[in-house]
Amino acid sequence: MLKRLRFPIRYVPFAATVAVFIGAYAIGAISFKNFFTLRVFVNLFHDNAYLGIAAVGTGIVILSGGIDLSVGAVIAFTGMLVAKLTACGINTGLAILIALAVGILFGILQGTLIASFDLPPFLVTLGGMFLARGGSFIINEEALSILKNPVLDFIEDNLQLSLGNGVYLECIEVVYLIVLLCGIVFTQWTPLGRRIYAIGVNEQSALLMGVPVARTKIMAYGIAGFCSALAGIVFTVYLKSGNPLNCIGLEMDAIAAVVIGGILLTGGVGYLLGSLFGVLTLGLIQVLIMFQGNINSWWTRIIIGILVLLFIFMQNLITKLSDKKQ
Amino acid sequence: MKKYLSLLILPLLLLVSCKKADSSKTITVGFSQIGAESDWRKASTLSIKEEAKKRGIELKFSDAQQKQENQLKAIRAFIAQGVDVIALAPVVTTGWDDVLKEARAANIPVILIDRRVDVSEDGLYACYIGADCTEEGRKAGRWLIENVGKQAGIAELVGTVGSGPAVERKKGFEEAIKGEPGLKIIKSQSGDFTRSQGKEVMEQFLKSPERDQINVLYAHNDDMALGAIQAIEEAGKKPGKDIVIISCDGVKEIFRQILAGKANCTVECNPMVGPYLFDVVETYMRGETIPPRVIPHEDVFDARNITQEVIDGRSY
Amino acid sequence: MNNSQSLNFIIGITALLVCVASTFISGRSQKFRHLRWPLVALSLLFLYNLIFKPTFFALEITDDGYLYGSLIDILNHSSKIALLATGMTLVIATGGVDISVGSIMAISGAVAATVIVSPYSSLILAVFLALLVSTLAGLWNGILVAACGIQPMVATLVLMVAGRGIAQLITDGTIITFHHPAFNAIGNGHLLGLPVPAWLAATIFLIALALTRTTSLGLFIETVGNNRTAARYAGIAARKIVWITYVFSGFCAGIAGLVVCSNIKCADANHAGLYLELDAILATVIGGTSMTGGRFYLSGSILGAILIQALSTVMYANDVNPAVIAVPKAILVIAVCLLQSDRFRSRIMALPVFRKFGGEPC
Repeated sequence: MLKRLRFPIRYVPFAATVAVFIGAYAIGAISFKNFFTLRVFVNLFHDNAYLGIAAVGTGIVILSGGIDLSVGAVIAFTGMLVAKLTACGINTGLAILIALAVGILFGILQGTLIASFDLPPFLVTLGGMFLARGGSFIINEEALSILKNPVLDFIEDNLQLSLGNGVYLECIEVVYLIVLLCGIVFTQWTPLGRRIYAIGVNEQSALLMGVPVARTKIMAYGIAGFCSALAGIVFTVYLKSGNPLNCIGLEMDAIAAVVIGGILLTGGVGYLLGSLFGVLTLGLIQVLIMFQGNINSWWTRIIIGILVLLFIFMQNLITKLSDKKQ
Repeated sequence: MKKYLSLLILPLLLLVSCKKADSSKTITVGFSQIGAESDWRKASTLSIKEEAKKRGIELKFSDAQQKQENQLKAIRAFIAQGVDVIALAPVVTTGWDDVLKEARAANIPVILIDRRVDVSEDGLYACYIGADCTEEGRKAGRWLIENVGKQAGIAELVGTVGSGPAVERKKGFEEAIKGEPGLKIIKSQSGDFTRSQGKEVMEQFLKSPERDQINVLYAHNDDMALGAIQAIEEAGKKPGKDIVIISCDGVKEIFRQILAGKANCTVECNPMVGPYLFDVVETYMRGETIPPRVIPHEDVFDARNITQEVIDGRSY
Repeated sequence: MNNSQSLNFIIGITALLVCVASTFISGRSQKFRHLRWPLVALSLLFLYNLIFKPTFFALEITDDGYLYGSLIDILNHSSKIALLATGMTLVIATGGVDISVGSIMAISGAVAATVIVSPYSSLILAVFLALLVSTLAGLWNGILVAACGIQPMVATLVLMVAGRGIAQLITDGTIITFHHPAFNAIGNGHLLGLPVPAWLAATIFLIALALTRTTSLGLFIETVGNNRTAARYAGIAARKIVWITYVFSGFCAGIAGLVVCSNIKCADANHAGLYLELDAILATVIGGTSMTGGRFYLSGSILGAILIQALSTVMYANDVNPAVIAVPKAILVIAVCLLQSDRFRSRIMALPVFRKFGGEPC
């Protein structure tokens, strides 16, 4: 049937993700009053921006054939770093730049360990996660708030666009969309992006073709580090506080979002745009349950687990079908 | 394609089975609860759910699984839904500025339950219904002085680091014992309000060099005390006699332990906020002014006023 | 120095000497070589405590006739990691990984607690049903990986995410508390002076050891992990081997769940086994098993579990905030990975200072 439609099979997972998202949205619109409003739609972006940015980084690493478990911990660490530096009197803008630099360095360090010594990414990023989490507690044991801060207040009061009805498009969503756009352009249209796909599909072949595998991997992890740090900064601006307990387990949410978005965990297959729909779907499920108001919240986890399962099955099926065609 | 259609029908059945809101007459309240991490929390949730049902108020309940992000999403969802009142039990004290300002802009009053928040300006929440945790700490300290004496080495199991109740119960207790130089807190560490960590930390206290000086345990909640009681027994000591146990909350299990002589005192922290909450909600809906502070009724319990009947009569 | 202090020192020095001696012996022997580095780390920990906190080694016999002290605590609390690590070792040996074991522990505890507070309360029924459910969970993972060919990390991710939701469904979102003396003995009891969980971990370890080393099962697992296609061509039922490992991992997680649930006398679906899968993977890797599969070392995993718990207990005993323990764990992971990496070792051996040792990787 798909052959008759002349629909390229490699777009099917992405199409399915979009279909699930639209379907779930439709269910919400039918069942609940006030669901099909601009506020709900903008909230989806505002509330999940940090996850989305983290998913872009995770997606790029997974496309290169690796994995990044340190995302949640780095978010907490950069948040604490910004909050602590601000509390010590350093200008918040400078603190943000420092935090971004730290994130990039952290990612490059992980990438170097993985690429130079052939260490398993799972374990190296696990170590990175432990290091960043412990580091957050060393910075400060309790949460630190950043209230009455000139830089953050400026961002909040001025960098927003009114969309009517009391709904605002704020800095955080725009940053996420910019990062997503850059990520898509990067993976689809730059040579480095293509090299990432190449080593994701088959590292040996890429090496034989002359792709600088080690350098590409390090760049991928560096970008992921930057995205995690940026997500941390966005999260801190979102909450106006840093907390060492933030985002525990977020890496699994990012991986789930990426898988639902159609990116294969083995690497080399998928589109970053899918991660947008993966993140939005995860957020949408939560909102649907909140609007219902009576379903117990643990169903969220069960539903997400089922979604991940269904998408894996579908991707598996498609891989087998496209193998058969050849 | 048919496969995908059937995937959509499953969740459809799940969701359309809910009743659609008849918004015009019923009051809608959105409540964002911290989680279900203890019996106390469960009792609080049950109290609110039952009271809502009794009064015919529609309750949108959201369990945040102890994550602040989930509570922020819930409050935004409530604002989008257009509920009449939002009730919030905040998991941490910081980070609520933005969302409370959004609620204020949408003309929805926010009522805080059980814990306070740290905000940059006044007027971001309409009312705080909850125990005065500082007073609970003071009551614990006073009970200690009156019933144990003025000489004791105290081990303290602190609640979740940075949470309102933990900070306030510590402050109140220290205030009450300040005048007595013979009362010293020799060990203090966080048990995170959970039974398992309370047990682990107590095990470590009982192995520390100061272990023989500990004759009083002050736990910020009953769950940690219950874990500590297990640790004390396993160390070969007698909880309730060798080490006096004082804790806060007042759950049924600690009452049983007090009756059995294994614990000594619990300062009640009333979780049954349902009636108080909806009294305030109905006051608001009638257009009258809400009181800024509501303190539920609380007692101090020890072996003198606990009997089997009292235990049977307790709902949590 | 009074009697108890000198006793502490004697125990401490004995422990240290045992560790150091084992390090040398294992270094010599080919069979136990993989135990060398964990033993070194353990020796360093004991040395630190001997110098700075000798009360760590205090051991006494309580009125009820069992041993009590920090060392026993390490044995006790490391049992759950050891149980998980035993199953995890076999899974990793086939080239896979099982990140759902923490959630399976929560489900197992939830099932057991529900049975005990129900009208049909009985120790045997609770244990049987809990182990049945966890073994089925392992079977589910095995089917996804072996039969459907799904990548292990993703396949077990499903249960890891959904499993806690299922556990909460079973407990109805509450923490179920219970009193059942026989069941409580699983997590709190003592046998011959030592804690029951340690006996359970030792038993499962011995069973796994017997199954894999006295039969050809171990060899098959290693072959499948090394090269699955070659294994299949050699006539090994690779799929069956793979799903057996997942079933066993689920079973071990079930026992660990029972231990945890019984230990705190309640079933906490939110916190039971949280992130223990990471500790189990860490223990396995410390013990010498490589994540790419192949040769595995059960004894190494047990030692790894003890090392991780020792680290944690030492932190508690020295009044360090337990959250900070993540940093030494991080250093441990990276150090172990580097030591196991051929590329790293050959580069270090190429350094001038080591060249006189003949360039033989350690």
